[in-house]
Amino acid sequence: MKTSAVVSDTIGNYPSTKAEDKAAALERIRRAQAGDVNAFELLYREHSPRIYAFCLRLKAGDKSDATELLQDVFIKAWRRLGTFRGDCAFVSWLHRLAINTMLENARSDQRRTARVLPMDDTSRLAGAARSSGVESRMDMENAIASLPKGARLAFVLHDVEGYQHQEIAEQLSVSVGTVKAQLHRARRLLRERLES
Amino acid sequence: MTHEVIKHLLDDYVTGDLTEEARPPVEEHVASCALCSAEVESLKRILARAEELPKSIDPPADAWSNIRAAISRDESAVLANSPFTRSGIRQRRYTLAAAAVLIAVLSSAGTGLYMNSRSRAATSGTSASNSSTEATPATLAAFTIEENNYLRTASILQDLLDQQEASLAPETVAQLKASLRTIDEAILEARNALARDPANKLLVQMLSASYRQKVDLLRRTTELTRGT
Repeated sequence: MKTSAVVSDTIGNYPSTKAEDKAAALERIRRAQAGDVNAFELLYREHSPRIYAFCLRLKAGDKSDATELLQDVFIKAWRRLGTFRGDCAFVSWLHRLAINTMLENARSDQRRTARVLPMDDTSRLAGAARSSGVESRMDMENAIASLPKGARLAFVLHDVEGYQHQEIAEQLSVSVGTVKAQLHRARRLLRERLES
Repeated sequence: MTHEVIKHLLDDYVTGDLTEEARPPVEEHVASCALCSAEVESLKRILARAEELPKSIDPPADAWSNIRAAISRDESAVLANSPFTRSGIRQRRYTLAAAAVLIAVLSSAGTGLYMNSRSRAATSGTSASNSSTEATPATLAAFTIEENNYLRTASILQDLLDQQEASLAPETVAQLKASLRTIDEAILEARNALARDPANKLLVQMLSASYRQKVDLLRRTTELTRGT
């Protein structure tokens, strides 16, 4: 029974589109829900790279904070597996846990603030538009890391992870208009930092 | 549409989120406005660079071992039976543990009731029903709303409890987690059964009752921890 359409199944799908792989993934979730730690480890191996990349961006590129967040997410996931109803992709459920955990963790955010590139300091990003390849990617990552939290969250969820406005609004408990405004702000700041 | 109006629509224009009606005038304006045209190209470049970013990055190798250790601590705590160490809040913690046990018993009893009712329904050949429908949503749609509310409330309370966990005695935490796991198992069992039999009102009642038990346990525990 589908009780909610909070997160679209068109994103965050299981890695393989093969029906048997999806069935195997569901079976792993079911076994983990029954307390099978080995099955949970398989879920971790399958999803942790995607969640870690997400955590890195939420934590403005700080690997230590991102690793801490990743661990918190999977520990919470283990404790709350019983509440996963299968009405969204498992990775979307993990994304939501990551967002909620990050928003709750005010202390980590305070530590991060000291390390994040200040909003008015664009010197590190000078010349970004001229670079290419890996450097260009790093410039983009740094520019994303320099965004204010709300704008960064909206940009990562929409333009990197591919969630829709409505889905993000529900995840963050804000209006669609707020999400669009944050996205507009994020893109404007990125353009200023990367192309001016 | 004027330039001032259209410049606020460029994000949606680039991402394809404009309506069919709004798109042509924007397209026409962009073709003739150098400023908007440059902004559109700039937006496209930003979105293309965002798309090129890796969606997956391998986490540090020791992350799983830390997670595994935390899971093991959870499991050990469930088995632990050490005496209270902080005498000042002993009585309150006994109360908490007793409340947690009570909920676990209630949950198990509820599951038993459900299983018995299922047996009776199967024997009589009729759909099982329960007379105490007072607090249960009348329709599946109403239940969906209620379920989402319960999940949201439970999640908030669980987060509060996670933050307050350090103020509880380990055996209380263990008992609480064991009780929550029992309730979650009952919820999972009822949900799976409901997925197979969506019209079964008894299952809706069972699930609804389990959610109420969970929220109630979490709420009472967080209220008591504030007192400690």
